[in-house]
Amino acid sequence: MKLTAAGLSDVGLKRGSNEDYFAMDTSTHLYIVADGMGGHLAGEIASKVAVEVVQKNVNRWITESSPEDELFDFPDNTLSRRGNYILSGIKLANRVIYEMSREYAEYKGMGTTIVVLAVMPSTVIAANVGDSKIYLIRGNMIEPLSKEHSMVNEQLEMGLISKEEAETSPLRHILTRNLGSSDTVDVDVFEVEPMNNDRFLLCTDGLTDHVPDGEILRIIKDGNDPEHLCQQLVSEANERGGNDNITVSLIFVDRLDRERQGILKRFWRFFRR
Amino acid sequence: MARVILVFNKKVIKEYPFDKESMTIGRNEGNDIVIDNLAVSGLHARIDKAEDTYILTDLQSTNGTFVNDRRITSHRLQHKDKITVGKHLLFVALSKEEQAKVQDTGLDKTMILDTARQKDLLAKQAEKRGMEVTTKKERIGVISFIDGSDQGEIQLTKKLTKIGKAETSEIRLGGLLMPPTAATISRRPNGYAITTTGGKTVKVNNQSIHESHFLKDFDTIEIGSYKFQFYTQEAEDKE
Repeated sequence: MKLTAAGLSDVGLKRGSNEDYFAMDTSTHLYIVADGMGGHLAGEIASKVAVEVVQKNVNRWITESSPEDELFDFPDNTLSRRGNYILSGIKLANRVIYEMSREYAEYKGMGTTIVVLAVMPSTVIAANVGDSKIYLIRGNMIEPLSKEHSMVNEQLEMGLISKEEAETSPLRHILTRNLGSSDTVDVDVFEVEPMNNDRFLLCTDGLTDHVPDGEILRIIKDGNDPEHLCQQLVSEANERGGNDNITVSLIFVDRLDRERQGILKRFWRFFRR
Repeated sequence: MARVILVFNKKVIKEYPFDKESMTIGRNEGNDIVIDNLAVSGLHARIDKAEDTYILTDLQSTNGTFVNDRRITSHRLQHKDKITVGKHLLFVALSKEEQAKVQDTGLDKTMILDTARQKDLLAKQAEKRGMEVTTKKERIGVISFIDGSDQGEIQLTKKLTKIGKAETSEIRLGGLLMPPTAATISRRPNGYAITTTGGKTVKVNNQSIHESHFLKDFDTIEIGSYKFQFYTQEAEDKE
């Protein structure tokens, strides 16, 4: 399996500081983006703590092949073991941030979103809390692999408001879930089978508030260098206003050399030798 | 502290201090701001304090809620905004400090509304439309074999279900030409999708699929001599 990845975080044009944070781990193929919130420096702390807690713990569990019942909180039996590592890592990060915000006055009310992507030859795991997003770009289509946990999205799903109302609603930026505001958190986790040439995008709302999905698709499918594409996505968001911090992380998947050949292909290989 | 001033026929009827997290407006007793007029719904609208800002939400009222003469579903209130409910007007007066904070809080600032309050808000909106929030049940996919196997029906409880010869497959299929994993079905934000992975032809409704395909209720799937149908059913309660 060959992965080419890049990440970029930009303060945008209107904000004084960058409360986003991201990490890419090329050995365990773990990619994380978080968008922090809360006064003073609390937002920056929350996103950094979330990313680091998830990265450190998931990597440790992977290295030690930890059994699922030794993780933080109960495992989810609809998920693979790796899926449970990520679920558990996010729940742990939530607890850490929640305790910090209760313990220290300067961290009161801090919180963060998080998106996590783990790539393995047989499975890709996508997990999220809040309104940061994960997309799969496959051929000519773009598909969300995350759920938006905002008031507006819930109103939309319940049929209370129209799509047009959703786009301008002031409840757009009101989250229904985040890391840090409660001692437990519900995480959405998805698992999909990767294909060669799949492209995955992790991003904060600084990108998606300005750049529609169709435009994101157009930009990403026409490029071939993740680093250059990250810059292009950030520039696009800034040209359209740059109201918020913008963070993007792009992962290109290729040469999935997993054992998946049927018996015919194995014969074929045998004769070719 | 912010104040809400109720005006009718150009006369101030009453002033309400905004001394709690949320205030409701409506005809029924029990609202924080009671307006006894038939043009006003029993529970008409509500104002929530979210960090440093005030958010007005119409609770699916019959005659609507207007801010500065525009009908709104929800609106972030500014100092001196005029709210119209029936023939009554409500003016929002923010303190100097609050005005500055509202100015500082850009429209794109992300905030959290605590879960209890947002659930309550959604429930009230839904109730007005005769919807029940709590009864929205999850749907779960089911595979029902038609041909080639006596496995009957299998619920797709996993996020990713592997179909093939491998022992680790959730749905095991035999046969000399069957790859370890012939296809996978994943449960995604937009629904269930089937993906071919083993180089073996997978057909949905008699059409060979390439890469991924989103499944609809009663789609027929064929892998080799196996044939099965996909459909979704209401999931049983988890709790």
